[in-house]
Amino acid sequence: MAAVPEPDEPAKRKPFKLLGILDVENIPCARDSILYGSLGSVVAGFGHFLLTSRIRRSCDVGVGGFILVTLGCWFHCRYNYAKQKIQQRITRQGMKNKLLYEGTHLDPERKQNNGNSSN
Amino acid sequence: QNAASPIMEELIAFHDHALMIIFLISSLVLYIISLMLTTKLTHTSTMNAQEIEMIWTILPAMILIMIALPSLRILYMTDEFNKPYLTLKAIGHQWYWSYEYSDYEDLAFDSYIMPTYFLEPGEFRLLEVDNRTTLPMEADIRVLISSQDVLHSWAVPSLGVKTDAIPGRLNQAMVASMRPGLY
Repeated sequence: MAAVPEPDEPAKRKPFKLLGILDVENIPCARDSILYGSLGSVVAGFGHFLLTSRIRRSCDVGVGGFILVTLGCWFHCRYNYAKQKIQQRITRQGMKNKLLYEGTHLDPERKQNNGNSSN
Repeated sequence: QNAASPIMEELIAFHDHALMIIFLISSLVLYIISLMLTTKLTHTSTMNAQEIEMIWTILPAMILIMIALPSLRILYMTDEFNKPYLTLKAIGHQWYWSYEYSDYEDLAFDSYIMPTYFLEPGEFRLLEVDNRTTLPMEADIRVLISSQDVLHSWAVPSLGVKTDAIPGRLNQAMVASMRPGLY
């Protein structure tokens, strides 16, 4: 379905996918979650190693830390992303209503001003 | 494709959520495989392993719940029936669709695929049709889908709808586009 690129246009490169499945470039919050997860993994694993000097167990703690931190960041970021999308939708609808109904009896600002003056 | 309806937005979000879970499970499994391949330890007389069995029962159950709850939410969302603004009948034939708008006027037409040699530059191969179906945006539209002969399927990817057209059966789908465009 994509159009053939013009000669002077740079060719679209394929998106980079972690393990061949996770498109970190285009999925919102994926890149941040993976990066924070990697940082958490390094901190947890290295910290455990410094305390215990056990290599294999520190690797296990590192992997566990990666999974937990990635999951935690993912849910937190997606929750905020969903709130932002809802807010954008409300704003877009408000702007559209303002443009459509300005000067009429359905003007949202007129309703708001009437409400304030009656109070 | 980008989402053009609220249902498709939810589906894309759910897909991202499921993909992240799949990625984490795959990473864990790859790590465990690498551990198994690099250990010198063996234990040939395991009698019971209550703790590990608890973990590998409860953890998959929690993962499945995390996937199932959003999935069921979207499933019930697709089954919601809002008062439709318009009803469109889509009937599958071999090999074209016929559409009927019978709400206001008797309007019906056939929609054939445009052969490749008739396409103008910039038009999409295997997607263009001779008569396009025009629908209002930001309105709930009920689509009644059936077939005249064999099984077909009526789908619009960016609106998140795909419903089978079964001869002798009338399937219903709700479609609501958020913005104007060619889908």
